[in-house]
Amino acid sequence: MSNSALTLKNVFAGYGGGMVLQGLDLEVRKGSITCIVGPNGAGKSTVFRVISGLLKASEGDVLLAGESIKSLSPAEILENGVTQVPQSRALFPEMSVKENILMGGYLIRKNPKLLKERMAMVEEMIPIVRERASQPAGHLSGGQRRMVEIARTLILDPSLILMDEPSLGLDPKSVALVSELIKRMTKDGRTVLLIEQNVRLGMYLANDGVVMEAGKVRISAPAKDIAGDPEVASMYLGKTK
Amino acid sequence: MEIIQVLSYGILLGGLYSLLSSGLALIFGVLDIVNVAQGAFLVSGAFLTWQIWDLTGIEPILLIPVVALLWFGLGIIIYRTLFVRVAPQGPSMTVLLSFGLALIIEGALNLIFGNKFKSVQTSYSLQSYKLGEINFPAPQVIASLAAAVVLVLLYLYLMLSWAGRALRATAQNRDGAALIGISHRKISSFAYGLGMATAGAGGVLISVSYPIYPATHYEWISKLLGIIVLGGMGSIPGAIIGSMLLGIVEAAGNTYAPQWTILFFYGVIILSLLFKPEGLLGARSRKDSV
Repeated sequence: MSNSALTLKNVFAGYGGGMVLQGLDLEVRKGSITCIVGPNGAGKSTVFRVISGLLKASEGDVLLAGESIKSLSPAEILENGVTQVPQSRALFPEMSVKENILMGGYLIRKNPKLLKERMAMVEEMIPIVRERASQPAGHLSGGQRRMVEIARTLILDPSLILMDEPSLGLDPKSVALVSELIKRMTKDGRTVLLIEQNVRLGMYLANDGVVMEAGKVRISAPAKDIAGDPEVASMYLGKTK
Repeated sequence: MEIIQVLSYGILLGGLYSLLSSGLALIFGVLDIVNVAQGAFLVSGAFLTWQIWDLTGIEPILLIPVVALLWFGLGIIIYRTLFVRVAPQGPSMTVLLSFGLALIIEGALNLIFGNKFKSVQTSYSLQSYKLGEINFPAPQVIASLAAAVVLVLLYLYLMLSWAGRALRATAQNRDGAALIGISHRKISSFAYGLGMATAGAGGVLISVSYPIYPATHYEWISKLLGIIVLGGMGSIPGAIIGSMLLGIVEAAGNTYAPQWTILFFYGVIILSLLFKPEGLLGARSRKDSV
């Protein structure tokens, strides 16, 4: 049985005439945290758009646990257990925290019993959901918002969670809380693929690291190796060889 | 006593305007479309009511669900056949399309019903209700109460149903809604249909309280656009507050200086644009503004 949660094979994708991804190959192990780093314009966010079906690959294939999801709609991919926490502004600011989480279960709305069970599960895992249930999401702090965004994706009980810069704009205490939550999610057997500009944090959190450049994977290795790689350090951490 | 009468009339008028403008606010909130055809949908709903009443003598208020449902279906067809093609080209194009629709509807109404005023005569058309020393014209009272009932139903639907939640979610954060599996294409046509359904229900109500004429859609759309600009484009609570304020301004104008009523009405809107351009409850500005 394959240990691969997600595989991208020779993927070409882009906008208009230009290809952002130029034959990208990527493998994400089941139950792992994989962190993608790379300079601006490397195509990191485009990878997420291709996986979630918002952008169709013009060549290559996207396999979820061995099955192709390349031709599925974004809603079908969501139903297959791939959820996404974007960089910012994912919540509905005028809705309460509870209503935001419920909306995360839009695709399972016809099964109220399941929705109720999942709601209880999410409340237990992320207490802020219960503590701030009636508060409008627009009134939450950055860290609280990020926790609610993550909680909202968990209500679909996803197997793969895509997270775009989860630490962006958060204070150190919130970063610690979010990091702890990301680690806890994989203990439940979920796979996390994240993009992180904060290379030190990303590689500290991740088991596997991927360095992207110009629409391709340049380095794919255990995160601790990448964190100690002098070439990566000189590119992202401001160190010299 | 006069001031209480003015306020009461204003609230009655505002109640009706609230329903009429809520559909316009809903369509803008979800779709970013300034639906200039809303006045024409409203007037055509009133003509349909007049026609059914003329043929059968039925109590017009009973036709609210029928006309609303018909207009809902028509709205979905219009969105899926016309707006879905034009919407990606930006707000200006959708304004042009809806203005074109308004002209076609006006022409069709002229052809079918002729270029003259119609009015629905009911058993209460000439009656009034007396509360203390204040007289309330029965058609306005009934239209306003019916508008309030429809608005409460719309509110409950938007707050409690999944489709209503999906509409509100899309209006608040379109990308966020797509992330949780809400199909923008489906929710857009649904929003347009629901907006048109309010125009259908509103059309029934204006048929009992106002004389109708094909070209009156210009007057209606000007008022309704003014109301949602004042309330905040895309905000239904804003549309209700704007309706109440402008209803009271109009009632005061009609009482104290009838010849200046229109100036007062649009004067408030101009002041709002000068000092609070995003409207009373609006967080967004129009994308086609410069």
